[in-house]
Amino acid sequence: MSGELASGFTIVAGSQISLALAISALLFVIGLVGFLCRRNMIIMFLCTELMFQGAALAMIAFARMRMDVSGQVFVIFILTVAAAEAALALGLVVLLYRRRETLSSDAWSELGES
Amino acid sequence: MVPTLFYAACAIAAMGLALILMPTGHKVRLGATVLGLAGVAWILVLVIGAIPTGMSEVGPLGLMVLCALVSVASAVRVITHHRPVFSAMYFVLVVISGAAIYVLLSAEFVAFSLVIVYAGAILITYLFVLMLAQQSPTDIGSADAVDYDRIAREPASAVIAGFVLIAVLGGSIFSVQDSATTARFDQERSVRNGWRDLASMPKLLLQQAQRTDPTVARVVPRADGRMIDVRSDSTAIISVERATQTAPMDMILSPSMLPDNTSRVGMALVTKFPVSLELAGVILLMAMLGAVVLARKQTDLADDERRTLAGLGTLADDPSVRSSR
Repeated sequence: MSGELASGFTIVAGSQISLALAISALLFVIGLVGFLCRRNMIIMFLCTELMFQGAALAMIAFARMRMDVSGQVFVIFILTVAAAEAALALGLVVLLYRRRETLSSDAWSELGES
Repeated sequence: MVPTLFYAACAIAAMGLALILMPTGHKVRLGATVLGLAGVAWILVLVIGAIPTGMSEVGPLGLMVLCALVSVASAVRVITHHRPVFSAMYFVLVVISGAAIYVLLSAEFVAFSLVIVYAGAILITYLFVLMLAQQSPTDIGSADAVDYDRIAREPASAVIAGFVLIAVLGGSIFSVQDSATTARFDQERSVRNGWRDLASMPKLLLQQAQRTDPTVARVVPRADGRMIDVRSDSTAIISVERATQTAPMDMILSPSMLPDNTSRVGMALVTKFPVSLELAGVILLMAMLGAVVLARKQTDLADDERRTLAGLGTLADDPSVRSSR
């Protein structure tokens, strides 16, 4: 089922893949819980980054399982989107902070015109 | 294997997490941390045990379990710490242990770009904004942290929702039938994928052939039109022409000549997903423009001030404006 084929090309054990998948699920769920629980807007966005981490880890695990690099390429695209998202989201947070002088998401619970 | 035990482990981990999130005393928090860690450790043990493992993989598996515990524990700290700056620092720890797992899964290029882009760029942006928008002065001790950082919103229902999700997702790991056959099939297929990638890189293929035999002049297609024939023992055969003789000869490549991770990722990036690559560039450009537009300070200026900024005189001494009124 597994064994070393050559230097740097070890066939991965199935348990290693499922362990990576379990970690990715845990990271995603912790990020989800954090997004729902935390009330600081910046931390909420940080939690979405945690969820990104979980998704990326799952892609890496499946890429390893098939020895196909498409999954890794998609992780690179995830990095791109995460960087873009961070720039925009943080710009928005700074804008919101200037209006209400607080980072609490409760200040925006009714998204009316201020 | 019935995933009942797995559901129990999920419930224990969920209970721990919910107790950590709730506003409780110091002792309860400590107990909840132990409970949550025990639950997570049980989940990991069950997942590893679901697929039989030979002794040869214990080494990398142990490293991976270590990284798993570090990343999950610091992820929990990200969502439970009362000071946002500390949360961001714990997120750096999540990223670094995640990169270690990537290396263990032989995705070296992505691992390093993850550290550079996440820990180096994105997290610094977060820290900038945190410092910019900090309310309370930076005293140590969580007693004076602002209210919205101390009190979680509906921790119980959020944790229940999250861990029902993980129970359903994780249960699918245990429903795999006959994992040994699947793994063998995947092994063959993965070697085949590696050779296929090498066949699409003619220059590297020639280099690898010349590493075996320096007199090789070029690699020619085989009789069936393909560059590489993969054999069942995961070696491959190519046809080469030497400088001295014209008739093509067979050459066997050993699996150590498979292309490495970085060259495969680069090749896939430009040959399989060129449109996505361009789109990623467009997304980054748009994000940059959007961030500039968003971050610009919006001030309401009176007519005269606006005219002064534009290099015009005030309204009062502009004859054209006065005449048009």
